[in-house]
Amino acid sequence: MATYDSLFSSLGLEEWCSQGKSDAPMSMEALLAKTKGGNTEPESLWDAPFPSMDALNESCAAFPQSRELTKGLEQGFLAIKDSLSLILDPLTQPLSWFLDGALYAMLNTPWWIVIPLLLAVVYLVTKSWKLMAFVGGSIILLAFIDHYDYAMQTLAIIFVCAFLCVLLGVPIGIAMARSNTLQRLIIPVLDMLQTLPPFVYLIPLIFLFSVTESKLYGIAIILYAIVPVIRLTNLGIRLVDKDVIEAADAFGMTPRQKLYKVQIPLALPNIMAGVNQTIMMSLAMVVIASLVSAPGLGVLVLRGIRNLELGVGLVSGLGIVILAVILDRVTKASLARINASQKQ
Amino acid sequence: MTKDIKISIRNLFKIFGPDPDVALEYVRRGMNKADLLEQQNHVLGLRDINVDMRDGEITVIMGLSGSGKSTLIRHLNRLIEPTAGEIRIDDEDVLSYSEEQLRKLRRERMSMVFQKFALLPHKTVLENAGMAKAIRGYTTSDFEADARKWLARVGLEGNENQYPHQLSGGMQQRVGIARALVSDAPIMLMDEAFSALDPLIRSDMQDLLLELQEELHKTIVFITHDLDEALKLADHLVILKDGEVVQQGDPQDILLNPGDPYIVDFISDINRARVLRVRSVMQPGTDSGEDFAGDISERDNLETVLERSGGDTDLAFRVVRDGRQVGSLHMKDLTKALVPTAAATESRQRV
Repeated sequence: MATYDSLFSSLGLEEWCSQGKSDAPMSMEALLAKTKGGNTEPESLWDAPFPSMDALNESCAAFPQSRELTKGLEQGFLAIKDSLSLILDPLTQPLSWFLDGALYAMLNTPWWIVIPLLLAVVYLVTKSWKLMAFVGGSIILLAFIDHYDYAMQTLAIIFVCAFLCVLLGVPIGIAMARSNTLQRLIIPVLDMLQTLPPFVYLIPLIFLFSVTESKLYGIAIILYAIVPVIRLTNLGIRLVDKDVIEAADAFGMTPRQKLYKVQIPLALPNIMAGVNQTIMMSLAMVVIASLVSAPGLGVLVLRGIRNLELGVGLVSGLGIVILAVILDRVTKASLARINASQKQ
Repeated sequence: MTKDIKISIRNLFKIFGPDPDVALEYVRRGMNKADLLEQQNHVLGLRDINVDMRDGEITVIMGLSGSGKSTLIRHLNRLIEPTAGEIRIDDEDVLSYSEEQLRKLRRERMSMVFQKFALLPHKTVLENAGMAKAIRGYTTSDFEADARKWLARVGLEGNENQYPHQLSGGMQQRVGIARALVSDAPIMLMDEAFSALDPLIRSDMQDLLLELQEELHKTIVFITHDLDEALKLADHLVILKDGEVVQQGDPQDILLNPGDPYIVDFISDINRARVLRVRSVMQPGTDSGEDFAGDISERDNLETVLERSGGDTDLAFRVVRDGRQVGSLHMKDLTKALVPTAAATESRQRV
């Protein structure tokens, strides 16, 4: 006798309820109650449980328990998994190639080529000797404490993922800026991607792809890091001075000319701010993604946690901080250069 | 003075709101702007506008903010689509234009100068000046000579490689004007082009515009809320109020014969001696019987004549155009013309 018995009997559903009686698995609580000899006293209103799935199941065995919800979800996912991966697998295969290629290239090019090359890129985008010296010092420090390979793996993954984020995110942002309907549709998705704990979307990915494939963590990083570049591209294009747009129209620009000659250049400071955020978020995610076999400094952090190796964890953590500072300073400096050339 | 009509606006209506066609019916039946907003929740932008703009003249559209003047000028290149009516440019119906034809019109036959300059911040002054040509597919080297010429003409020699944010407001608007000139379009739309500038620079820019117009004879449509500016520039003045034309015509005429209390109010603060010109108050004819104190040009303003007369109201002047007499001006007529319109109508009523 449970609290909601009367509810089902008044609805005349007793027969339907008894049908489910045989196969429903028994909860631990019910089992204990049964062994105690069953207390059949009606409970007071004070103790009435919330009419949740489990409470209703007690009164009516045919009513599903809440664990059947999670189980159902899982089974549903497993059911579509094969057909889903049939489509997604070839579609995302290039990501594996990019990541493996970048990792291979980074690690198999001698350090005396990679480091000057990185510094040259830094100088090219920032035009600042000071920043270049700082980056050089940091990398040499990391290399000196034998973290060069790990740091380069992390960097390679970030480069590939951030590049793909920009490649996909900027067009999505532009499309959003042009259509209010699209914006209404995409914003909830972005909100969800941003608030969903990163560990959670590792789980379906593990089901879909093999853990040995690098695209597994690549997708996780891209999903997590693509949000700011989409948002800020959308915002940047929407914020472009209406007067300038009107002038572009008045002088007869085609929509394409307007996009490439006015909207994108004027939105560039915002887009670059999005790129900066995207790079920083890829760095955050590449550490978490070490849980699903992403190589790099995250692996050392994970080792520190698993084996309680304090020193390993601290040093690799510091390495991540150094990488973060480098990436942030370099992107901010190039952003400042863009801003300086077009303040109004 | 029978120049061709370049732009002709006929029965133009513009109503803003979700269902303008329904609201249009109410407006045609005579509903006014306030009622339309209250009962139909539509904003009346323009009501039954009819204006002809002649080739080579400056047509000034004047009104206070909210009078619909900026809406009106944007109809000419269809940045805003009308609810009803007709717009003809060079006797072609602009509203029937396809997108391609409209783009061609905007690129080749019209240029526009904006209140807030609207220059491209990431391009140099030179590139901004050549924007219209760049849009048409020319490269910088194609239009560079042209752009330099016009930049020099508006007084920006040596600033070609600067960026707009490095220039003052007045200089930025000079770039805006140069941009319109480089496009070689016969029609120039100027939307409150000088309103954002301080008074001294504004006066300079007005002089520059008149000077340029002297040699270029473009068809200029100029929007302003400043009556002094309107009177200084206008060949044809259109006064808008609440989306309707209150009066239009020769600015001198409007000043001497205002057709509406609204305009009387408007012109009461004007320095009439500076705005009125000899030709609009003189007695036409070649009467030579009188004793003239001297020759004046028909284009002189009354202030200059007052100065020459030294305040003596008994004098008369011979009015000449190109050395020939076209009329005479008695100082008494001049003094009468200076009486403010409001006061003049009052005294007439008293008699």
